Amino acid sequence: VNPHAGHLSLELLLQDWLGETEPQVRDAIDTHLMACDACGALFDELLALGQGVREALRTGAVTMVASADLLARLAAQGMQVREYRLSHNGSVNCTLAPQDEVLAARMEAPLQGVRRLDLVHAISLAPGVEHRAEDVPFDPAAGELVVLTSVGRTRPLPAHTSELRLLAVEDGGNRELGRYTFHHQPWSG
Amino acid sequence: METLVPSGTDGPEARLAREIARSAAGEAREAEGQLYRLLAPRVRRYGLRHLRDGHAAADLVQQVLTLTIEQLRAGAVREPDRVLSFVLGTCRMTLMDQRRTDLRRQQLLERHAESISVADIHEAPRLDHQRVADCMDRLPERERSVLVLSFYDDQPSEAVGAQLGMSSGNVRVIRHRGLHKLRRCVQATGTPR
Repeated sequence: VNPHAGHLSLELLLQDWLGETEPQVRDAIDTHLMACDACGALFDELLALGQGVREALRTGAVTMVASADLLARLAAQGMQVREYRLSHNGSVNCTLAPQDEVLAARMEAPLQGVRRLDLVHAISLAPGVEHRAEDVPFDPAAGELVVLTSVGRTRPLPAHTSELRLLAVEDGGNRELGRYTFHHQPWSG
Repeated sequence: METLVPSGTDGPEARLAREIARSAAGEAREAEGQLYRLLAPRVRRYGLRHLRDGHAAADLVQQVLTLTIEQLRAGAVREPDRVLSFVLGTCRMTLMDQRRTDLRRQQLLERHAESISVADIHEAPRLDHQRVADCMDRLPERERSVLVLSFYDDQPSEAVGAQLGMSSGNVRVIRHRGLHKLRRCVQATGTPR
C-alpha cells in the first residue's frame, strides 16, 4: 500500500494474486477493492498483462530461457511440445511440424560455479551476425539450459543452421562452456 | 494498512442504497441499475481473486447483487449507508456457501433473476498478445523468464526461483522491475481493446 496516496501498489496486487500475502492482508485488499475503482482498474490491468503474457507463450510468440518444469506443464496441459535434447557440444537435425506449438532445446552444460551466463546466437541465413543475450537465468544444479524459441518466427524460415554458444562471463573475460548446432529443415510432411 | 478509500455514507453507493431502501419494492429501477453497474466490476474482481475463473466470477456478480438489491427492496439491510460492507460480507458468505453446495445459488437465481434488470457486466480489458510479445522481447532475459514463469500458472516467487536458480527475494526484485517495464511498454504502444 502506498500510505500517502492510500492506494494499492501494482506489486502488492501481484503478490496477492500469486498467493504471497498473509490472510489479513488479503482481507484488507478485498475491502479496499470493494470501495476503490482506481485500484480496481489497476487490478484489471494486472490481469490483462498476465493474460497477454500467457497468450504470447501459448501462441508461440516468445523466445526465452525457460525450465524443464515449464516444458512439462505445457505438455501436461495438452500443448504440442517439440523438444530437442543435446548433449554437451552436441548437434541435432531439427524441424517444426504444423501442429507444434512449442519448440524447445535442452542443452547439457557444465554450469556449476558459473556466476553469469551469456548466450550467443548465430544463424547461417545472416552470416557474420551474432546476437548476444546477456546474463540469462540458469539453475547451476540442473546441468542444462532450456531455451524456448518462437514458433512463429521459426516456422517461415528456410533450411538453415543455427549455432548457440554458452559463455561464462568471468573476471578475466569469457569462457566458452558449450557450443550447440541445429540443422533446421522445414517440415516436409 | 489503509483498507478503505473514503466513500462512507456520502458515496454514490450509499445514496443509491438509501433510495432503493426507502422506495416501494421495484419502484427504484433506475437506482437499482446504477447500483448494479457501480458494484458489478468490484464484485467481479472479488470473484476473480477468489475463484480464478471468469464465468464463476460473473455468476457471483449476479448472485451477490441480486441478493443485495432484493434485501434493500425488502428493507432487510439494516444500514443501507454501509452497503459496501453488506456486499463484501455477502461475497464472503456466498463463497463459503458455494464451497458447501451450489444448491442455494440455483434457487436464488431461479427466484429472482427475472425480476431484477441485469445491467451490462463490466469486463476486464484484454491486450493484443502480439503487442505484449513485442514488449517482452525488449525486456532483459531474466525479467522475461521470471515474468513468464510467474504468470503462466500463477506461480509464486519461491517456485519460480527454484526453477531458475534464484532466491525468492531476487525473483521479486526482478519481477517488480520487469512488470513495470512491460506495463510502460504496453501502455506506450497502444490501448487495451
